[in-house]
Amino acid sequence: MKLRALALAVVLLGGCDNQGEPTANAPADAPADKAPDIQFTAADFANAEKVALVPSPAEMERSLERSGIEQKLASMVDDSPISMDAENKDQIAVRAGVVLADLVLTVKESSKERTIERLDTIKVAIDKLGGGDDVPAQIDELKAQIEAGELTNDELIQEFDELSQVMVPELEYEAGEWVVPLIQAGSWLEGAHLVSGAVQDAGKFEAANDLLRQPEVVDYFIEYVNREGGDKAPDEVVDQLKSTLSTLKTVADKPALGADEVATIHDATGSVLSLL
Amino acid sequence: MASNWMKVAALAALPAMAALPTAADAGEKEAKACLNTKIWDGYNDGWAVRTAVDATLEKGEHRVYLVTLYAGNEYSLQACGDGDAGDIDLVLHDKEGKEVARDKSDDREPKVSFTPPRTDTYYVALYAASLSGEADKAGVAMAVTYK
Repeated sequence: MKLRALALAVVLLGGCDNQGEPTANAPADAPADKAPDIQFTAADFANAEKVALVPSPAEMERSLERSGIEQKLASMVDDSPISMDAENKDQIAVRAGVVLADLVLTVKESSKERTIERLDTIKVAIDKLGGGDDVPAQIDELKAQIEAGELTNDELIQEFDELSQVMVPELEYEAGEWVVPLIQAGSWLEGAHLVSGAVQDAGKFEAANDLLRQPEVVDYFIEYVNREGGDKAPDEVVDQLKSTLSTLKTVADKPALGADEVATIHDATGSVLSLL
Repeated sequence: MASNWMKVAALAALPAMAALPTAADAGEKEAKACLNTKIWDGYNDGWAVRTAVDATLEKGEHRVYLVTLYAGNEYSLQACGDGDAGDIDLVLHDKEGKEVARDKSDDREPKVSFTPPRTDTYYVALYAASLSGEADKAGVAMAVTYK
């Protein structure tokens, strides 16, 4: 993969100081001929689409680095294989999300063979979820490139980071709208579990609010886990997921997170992941 | 050269277009191609993509997206309109609905950069302020990227 260079100018915007602090109702740097010609309403915000709501695992790791915690999440990933041998599709989607997160987070440290194993696992998940043929075909192409040593670590990171984006239209079209939020839930739970562990290890609990407090994300997952219809057969993992999300919602609604709340997040997310 | 996944993204859009090709589909495809170029190029400078979405907007129409933005991370919200787009706007609001940033351009490739002071949810509005010529709608695509 050869990418062209382009310098993206990062411009701090109106109403923001150098730290990005919002300071006014209207953006101060908006040019006079660019005055707002539309006012967005409460109804607009209430009906906002949530497709971009959930942060990616790589984004969570970058945020951890920015907070001054140096521990690499890859070193905390449980390397045990995650099987897709489950009947309940909700559970398969969550498992796929965890594997995706691990794939992205460990790309620099994992062996070629382990990376390919994870890609094969994702292929199985896509098949079981009723996805189409396009992503599996591209996974095969990517595996060949990995085996041939044609991709650098940075290129692999890009490929894997984009995988989660590409699977969205593919799976929504082929399998159903509900699949993507549950895959996102798996990735987010894995990320939250690892980040909360890193915060505990570093003893830097003051960073927890910015790293782990995301009540709207938890609400979003609860909405899909509790949906009616589809494959809703009783399932141990899904039941535990509901319990975990309920716990996370309670924690996220607190005004500030401390050591106890971080421990609760770590334990609650771990209780789901340990069942996979 | 496009990455493997971006090529799949283009493929993923094909079934719908093959079933019922419309001007809107073509517009969104053109907008996505423009946006994908920006995303690929951004990777060279350390940017990564959270999400890319697309839509077809009539003049004055908008979409609003809820996003979680991390304190300290740099975010670049970018959009592309197709050839029927005139002025496409991006406006970022905080959780209370207060506007915190908007793009400065009057063209169809707006960009907003923002570094949140705290981790929170924000609203991104994608707005077709004007279309070109006699066009009645335009394909647009928007991405949330970070580094």
